Amino acid sequence: MDTSHLAEHVGAAGSVFASIFVVATYTMRTMIPLRVFGMLTNVILIVTAIPSHNYLQLVLHAVLLPLNGYRLHQMLQLVRDVKKSVNSDLSMEWLKPFMTERKCAAGEVLFYKDEKAEDMFYIVSGRFQLVESGIVLPVGAIVGELGMLSPSNARTQTLECVEDGVILSVSYRQVEELYVQNPEFGFYFLRLASARLFENIEKLETRLAEHTAPAASAPAEPA
Amino acid sequence: MTALKPRLSAMMAPARSMFAELMGEDDDEPVRIPDGLPEAVRAIALEAIDELTAYQGLSYAQLYLDRLKRFILRRTLDEALYCDIARLMVMRMCYEDPIRMAQLNLDRCAACAEVLPDDVRRLRLDEMVASLPDMVADLVLEGLEWLGWQHMPVTRRLRTASRWGRRRLKIEASLRRWRLLSVRYAKERAWVERWLHMIDRSLTRQPEAVSAIIQTATMVQGYGHAYRQGLADWHLIIDQLAKPVFDGKLKLPDLSAAITEARAAAMPDPRQVALKRAIAQIRAGAGGNAG
Repeated sequence: MDTSHLAEHVGAAGSVFASIFVVATYTMRTMIPLRVFGMLTNVILIVTAIPSHNYLQLVLHAVLLPLNGYRLHQMLQLVRDVKKSVNSDLSMEWLKPFMTERKCAAGEVLFYKDEKAEDMFYIVSGRFQLVESGIVLPVGAIVGELGMLSPSNARTQTLECVEDGVILSVSYRQVEELYVQNPEFGFYFLRLASARLFENIEKLETRLAEHTAPAASAPAEPA
Repeated sequence: MTALKPRLSAMMAPARSMFAELMGEDDDEPVRIPDGLPEAVRAIALEAIDELTAYQGLSYAQLYLDRLKRFILRRTLDEALYCDIARLMVMRMCYEDPIRMAQLNLDRCAACAEVLPDDVRRLRLDEMVASLPDMVADLVLEGLEWLGWQHMPVTRRLRTASRWGRRRLKIEASLRRWRLLSVRYAKERAWVERWLHMIDRSLTRQPEAVSAIIQTATMVQGYGHAYRQGLADWHLIIDQLAKPVFDGKLKLPDLSAAITEARAAAMPDPRQVALKRAIAQIRAGAGGNAG
């Protein structure tokens, strides 16, 4: 039996079907549906490439399919991690896969006070000190996460590397891109940033209470 | 037909705006002059806005104003010193890169009806490459370093007499739209921020030395070897004298005099022998480390 005409029909129908999916992929506004539709398109184009013996198309989409899958997994993982962070320790570790490693030498200044803030940093190793307050930041600290949301966008202190180390950095623009690409991430990111801000306020209130308590409990001096 | 034209134009507006953004030409937000600037500083700032807008764009002029704004509430800074900061900052923010050289020659050509002689400048190869966006420049600089060619002198002949020469200058000047992505800009930005930071720390730790710190900006000028030399001398003076004093590691009651003495010892010597010796003497005279 001659099946060539059948293969031709399958190929033509598959191409029409795939074209609809390509158009649908391009109309997606956010990243997760875009990746899902991209993967569906890849599968259809692989299937249609078999009967028409179009091996170039088959190889191309066989490469694009896992790539789309990996990016989708990254996005879903990001949302899961941010969600987990909001409900547990408020850490920003989930940002690490999106950060770039940078070595810092002692004496190098990462940013200056009043400078416009454009990046956030994660300290991996070494010693980093806030010059104006003299505070040494511990390994694992995130610097500049609230600067992205503050209206003035200016650094409040200078950060200097006092002992050679490694930091990870990510620009606010990259985080903004993640935010825009993925509304669910955006929502949880805002919740996380607010939670960290409230945590800071709470710490300050505790410190203030500790500072004022001895003064209040001190016995009155005789007149 | 006439009704169709504005409709077509309106339809094309988003595409034009997207293209302008991609080409770095969407810099059209008006500048906001901060309230509370002293009158004399304001006059300098107004001139600086024009200069910086021509040099780079409105957002760059806004960056200048934002930097100037930091000192509005500093009571220990008098008006004359504030004016010096305003003047010297605009000088440093209009640094002389190959793009600036093309811009200046085009301005010179537009202002003069006569045929002008060629402008010949001697630069370094890495200085030329550093004007390109970092994603390109980083790769080229790595290659040059591997070949050992990064310090190779390059003679640039800027011609305004011929039509081709002017066309070439216009192409070079048009690279301005990507200037803020360049390797050179990142370094210049860090330099200006460090200079302002040192002024800020001096106002807190040793206000009598502020004038000397402000004036150190005049050490870094021009292009090529002179620029490199000035920059290296400036960093040495700041690292060895100003910063240790502000960190409390060196006791120098008269930092201003120490800076003046060190600057007088700075020679056009890449090894900085005389300057290093002078700084060592100043540090020894101060009794070394304070803690």
